[in-house]
Amino acid sequence: MTFRLTCPVCGARDVYEFRYGGPERGMRPAQEDLSPEEHFRWTQFRTTRPAPQEEWWYHAAGCGVWFSTWRNPATNREEGPAT
Amino acid sequence: MRRLAPSPTTRVEVDRPVPFRWVGRSIEGCQGDTVASALWNAGVRTFGRSFEYHRPRGLFDLEGEGASQLVAIDGLPNQSAGTTALRAGMSVSAQNVSGDPRSDLYGVLDRFDRWMPAGFYYRRFHRPYRAWPFFQNRMRALAGLGVLDTSSPHDDARRSELYLNADVAVVGGGVSGMAAALAAARPGVRVCLFERRPWLGGHMDWRVRETRGERLYERAHGLAEEVAAHPHIRALTAAPVTGIWGENLVTGFQNGSDADGFDERHWECRARAVIVATGTIERPLVFNHNDRPGVMVSDTAWRLARSYAVRPGMRAVFSVGDDLALEAAVDLASLGIDVAAVADARADGADPELVAALERAGIEFLPGYAASAALGKHAVAGVTIATLDGSDERRFACDLLVANAGRQPDIGALSSAGARFRHSPHTHTFEIESLPADVFAAGRVTGLVDAEAIETSGRRAGLEAFVHLAGGLGAAFPSTDEPSVYAELTKIRAYSSELPGPPAGCGILHGPNLGSGRKAFLDFDEDGTWKNAVQCAEQGFDVPELAKRFGNFGLGPGQYRVPGQNVAMAMAQITGTAIEEIRCTTVRPPLIAPKLATVAGPNHDSYKRTPLHDDQASRGGVFRRAGAWQRARYFSDDHTCRAEIRNVRENVGLLDSSPLGKFRIYGPDAIHALQRVYISDMTKMKPGRCKYSAMCNDTGNIIDDGVVVPMGRDDYYFTTSSNRAASTVEWFRYHTRYDGWNYNLVNLTDTLASINLAGPRARDVLRKVTDADLSNQAFPYIGYREIAVGDGIAARCMRLGFVGELSYELHVGASHAPHVWDLLWSAGEEFGIQPFGLEAQNALRAEKGHVIIGAESEQRVTLLDIGMGWLWSREDTASKKVGAPALRACQDQPNRMKLVGFRVDEGGGSPQDGAIVVDGDDILGFVCTTRYSEALGWQFGMALVKERAIGDGDVAGLEIYENLGGRPRRTRATIVPPHFYDPDGTRLRS
Amino acid sequence: MTPAGPGALRLERLWEQRPLKRSYDVIIIGGGIHGLATAYYLAKEHGIRDVAVLERQYIGFGGSGRNTAIVRANQRTQENVRLYDEGLKLWPILTDELDYNLMFFNCGNLNLAHSEAAVNAFRLSVNTANFNHVESELLDAQSCKELIPILDVSDKPKYPIQAGMYHPPGGVLRHDAVVWGLAKGAAEHGVDIHQGVEVQGIDVQGAKVTGVRTNHGPIECAKLGVMAGGYGAEVCAMLDLELPVHPLTIQAMVTQPLKPFLHHVVSSGAYHVYANQTLKGEIATGAHMDPQVNYTTDATAHYFKHQAEALTDFMPALKGARFLRIWAGLADMTPDMAPILDGNVGFDGLYLDLGWGYFGFKSGPVAGKYMAEFIARETCPEILEPFALDRFLENRYMGETATTMKYGHWD
Repeated sequence: MTFRLTCPVCGARDVYEFRYGGPERGMRPAQEDLSPEEHFRWTQFRTTRPAPQEEWWYHAAGCGVWFSTWRNPATNREEGPAT
Repeated sequence: MRRLAPSPTTRVEVDRPVPFRWVGRSIEGCQGDTVASALWNAGVRTFGRSFEYHRPRGLFDLEGEGASQLVAIDGLPNQSAGTTALRAGMSVSAQNVSGDPRSDLYGVLDRFDRWMPAGFYYRRFHRPYRAWPFFQNRMRALAGLGVLDTSSPHDDARRSELYLNADVAVVGGGVSGMAAALAAARPGVRVCLFERRPWLGGHMDWRVRETRGERLYERAHGLAEEVAAHPHIRALTAAPVTGIWGENLVTGFQNGSDADGFDERHWECRARAVIVATGTIERPLVFNHNDRPGVMVSDTAWRLARSYAVRPGMRAVFSVGDDLALEAAVDLASLGIDVAAVADARADGADPELVAALERAGIEFLPGYAASAALGKHAVAGVTIATLDGSDERRFACDLLVANAGRQPDIGALSSAGARFRHSPHTHTFEIESLPADVFAAGRVTGLVDAEAIETSGRRAGLEAFVHLAGGLGAAFPSTDEPSVYAELTKIRAYSSELPGPPAGCGILHGPNLGSGRKAFLDFDEDGTWKNAVQCAEQGFDVPELAKRFGNFGLGPGQYRVPGQNVAMAMAQITGTAIEEIRCTTVRPPLIAPKLATVAGPNHDSYKRTPLHDDQASRGGVFRRAGAWQRARYFSDDHTCRAEIRNVRENVGLLDSSPLGKFRIYGPDAIHALQRVYISDMTKMKPGRCKYSAMCNDTGNIIDDGVVVPMGRDDYYFTTSSNRAASTVEWFRYHTRYDGWNYNLVNLTDTLASINLAGPRARDVLRKVTDADLSNQAFPYIGYREIAVGDGIAARCMRLGFVGELSYELHVGASHAPHVWDLLWSAGEEFGIQPFGLEAQNALRAEKGHVIIGAESEQRVTLLDIGMGWLWSREDTASKKVGAPALRACQDQPNRMKLVGFRVDEGGGSPQDGAIVVDGDDILGFVCTTRYSEALGWQFGMALVKERAIGDGDVAGLEIYENLGGRPRRTRATIVPPHFYDPDGTRLRS
Repeated sequence: MTPAGPGALRLERLWEQRPLKRSYDVIIIGGGIHGLATAYYLAKEHGIRDVAVLERQYIGFGGSGRNTAIVRANQRTQENVRLYDEGLKLWPILTDELDYNLMFFNCGNLNLAHSEAAVNAFRLSVNTANFNHVESELLDAQSCKELIPILDVSDKPKYPIQAGMYHPPGGVLRHDAVVWGLAKGAAEHGVDIHQGVEVQGIDVQGAKVTGVRTNHGPIECAKLGVMAGGYGAEVCAMLDLELPVHPLTIQAMVTQPLKPFLHHVVSSGAYHVYANQTLKGEIATGAHMDPQVNYTTDATAHYFKHQAEALTDFMPALKGARFLRIWAGLADMTPDMAPILDGNVGFDGLYLDLGWGYFGFKSGPVAGKYMAEFIARETCPEILEPFALDRFLENRYMGETATTMKYGHWD
């Protein structure tokens, strides 16, 4: 779908102005006692549902900001988490 | 044939002839004709042959809906005769024809339908399997409709693009669409209106019926003038909409005229609200031979007469199911066309005024009757009409059979905009069930028939759209306007409810006495018959989506728009399912098929050139696209670049490395950011020295390398590979996005050019253009100096050695670069300076054993695997270096792929990059880069191989295998450390 | 039933609709080619006939009915070549076994290289193929033009053609025919196919799968196969099973039918395009994927335009063709572009066949054959061993793509 995203700086823009940065997975974990499995789970593994998820986008053809937003991959609308 | 007398609705100029050719014959149309109207007027009845059975097909509709009226024009196939404007000198020909369309050789296929039931090809031709290619080739020979002239680049048209933003986009320029545009447009509200015909007016453009003292075409003309004059409406005519995509991105194309400055243009319009007013299409009546040339829907016959002054036939019979078609019969009779009889499939419900008018015109009216078969071999010569139960069948002679089973909303645009539909037992159509909040519908697409109701629905939709936007925007709209708009909307809502709503529709699908329906077509494009639909159900393909795929209904040029509802009704009837339980299949864009050339538009090629491009071109540079850039890869026809390589090794060479990524990072937290993304300890930097390091991803793959130079307090300059230059800012910001660090990052890549001066005489050359002390003590290997070149041009100078020789990398302002390049060139002449390109650089660096990311690395190998683990600051966990956990996880893993150097054994041949390393039946890896080295006198290479290939012993052999499509070649090589040339680095450091 | 004339076909239902039982030995989620093929081989090769294939929509609704049906075996790595090569050789065998014409058009695939680096990558693939006795050859630009005369091999295109990789054993099939043929074959061997049955939950006892909950009530099973293509990760999410799988929307389109002039599959990585001409005469073309997780099957105007620009740039004659229809399906991408074929993942009795990305069609029957063996014998067949899920926890990727990830496997 040719949807739009809301850049916090520039406003609603066509999705093709942005680069996708993946779902939010929290801060980079501390590395002191990080096991390999924990690390690779953190980088690659997740449950995927057709429900709103928080994710990162970069306004590549615009202001160059990384921001997180909630989007529902089942509709491609910006939509908050189910409460 | 003589035209009808012009009337106020006529859109052609009958006294301006336009000559053109039809299957080689010269004929004439007139100014304003479409190809179809001109052909019909010239007496052409067969436009082409059908897809599967090669049946003759003629003008069924003028809207470009199906395959029947597709013709080839000037070598371009599949042009819609009904919508293509006639131009003088056009050469028009029929499609899917062997010979003249009237006597097609393959016409005999029509008799074989018994052996070709739905899906028959899945059950035939495959046993024995070896026979299948034979049948397949026969099938392919019969496939396709038009012939594409593949020798032509089809480059004759002027093409352009238009990107619009609108508050309200209106799709359809009929009366309701125009009324909607006018109601929505006001200061601060931009309205774009798109109409596929060359003029506004919709179906009222050709209606002469009078309502409230005004003829309908007069009303349409009046609104069109208002729209054209309105300062806030931009109306595009001859501009069909191809789709409404996510969040109201409306797209389409437009056919231009000489005056427009383009012949065809692709347009896109991002709208905040969309109003769809696409009207109706006639639902075909299914009866035997309902595809005979001379059978057409009522709008076609009517528009031929009213818009084009073309006589649709000498004697007409109607078998229809809606009031507009009755109006057409009355009107055609008034224009002097003999209408023998009008059958109306509705037993009652016809507009009494129209029934009276038929009676006054002396036309026999047969309510409760419908056509059972068209007669005539090549074109309609008569028709049998019967009561719906088939009991009373009558026969009429005629050359025109106007047929429909009523009307259905043209839901394509709405469907692509996300509307949902439900079958209504009242209108017998798929009606709108729900619309997205920012999409509105108006006019006949909502089922309305009454003229006043149609226009009012448009005005209402315009106001609803405005209010929807105003609600979202508040202050952006003039607030003074708002109260009056709300008042008007309240009024119009009330008024709407008093006007006639959608009347009862015609519920029949097929005519009486259908029999097996083997020549009664549901889908004209691919010859899908009633009988085929029955066969689909028998084989279990009994819902529309499956029947569509199995029986090929609605997959041809007209798509699902015309046959869609009929197929859904057919499956319901055949399986005995309630139609209400059946969902119509999805309408997929494009709603009208555009040429690829039109969509592609001018298709400009955009790339970057370095400031040194022209000079390199003049010296014989052969350029290749490298990412965003055009870069010189070779400087001669010798793609092994022996001369370029030798000159760098023996004298001095000049390389344009401007695309190299160049960045400044500064601020109190700059060092933290560097520590995060670089794998080395970046706190250990020294002024005047380059720090070489690499960046990894989270799986430990190397993704970038370069040098960092401290420039001052919290201020650093660094380089990246050319490929990563565009993503570096993004990368830093991504990996520090939680940290709130204070640093700034500036991309200097395009601001600064970069010139590599490399070779044993590099110092001698540079010394001639600068006063700086270049001695090995003052400016050693890995050193960084800011020097002045020529008349004082500032250059950032790095003494690096990617190609394995004494070399200087000069970064200078892009505008100074050509001058510095010239200076070096003049200074170097006495030392034999020559340019070298990327391939020479590639061979030189490989000789030195330096890796290129993507050549000596890939997804399976980490930084450690390619022998660059020395860069990694292993103890540092606090910086949370990107990639460090992966390296830690893999550092002791057995059996990973590793980068090794090799030397091809004497007499072993010369494998190429991409050769594979094998052992028995197993592939152990592949050769990344391998070259014959003049300097070494042997062929060296680097390969990524599974660890077991390396073995335990000191000397391990590799078996290299190549087979590029001929005989296999095997080469033996010996693993050696990947530092082939000058292993001690003496030349770098001298 | 239609009266049969001389030589006419008897028309009967392709597969019998049987009542939905409350318990099966094996339940397969997903009525696409992977699920149907697995069920077919379970019944035919292993005598396990108490099998139900549960399909939420109708068979072939998902990726199986939305792809461009291109098949080939010139993969980058040996592990993959072996699997895909066997898959390629199955089409004629299946056509005969199923007595259903799958319309395999063995036209060969030509892949274009537009840079020196791409030529090197082709050499690796060609050498790998030939070493495994899979026919493949490297062609120069002129030879490419001889195969496909509409190619522009001059310097005019944005990405001038440098070379081609030609793979004669490849080709295209009729995707729906494969679905229907497998359904017919599975049903003939006793498999139940249930359309309109949506799995809404998975029941487990301890660490063992015991059944599914559906919109038609609970159904018990001893073994459960998740073969739901792009929807597989969603099914696994019912068990909170985390996977390195990323469902994306992939788009494709066809032009109006034209008399045949393109007699091979042609593809180009630089242009992100593949195209072939169907038996009907349409140019079927596709390839675009947006990187974000996407469960919609909506096409985009952006891709529509991109495809027109790309195709007409290196095959200018196509400027005169007309786009007819665009559609989209889901591709479940893994980080290394190779699937996850595994058993007893997290739970005993849970078998996964997913993560095929856009290679799911090529591999359907062969994956089904070996997954059936896996399920029946409860040991992983040797050919599937490299495809285990654990490789992602050990950072041992299969190398089907050389490109390293950046932020994640979407980029």
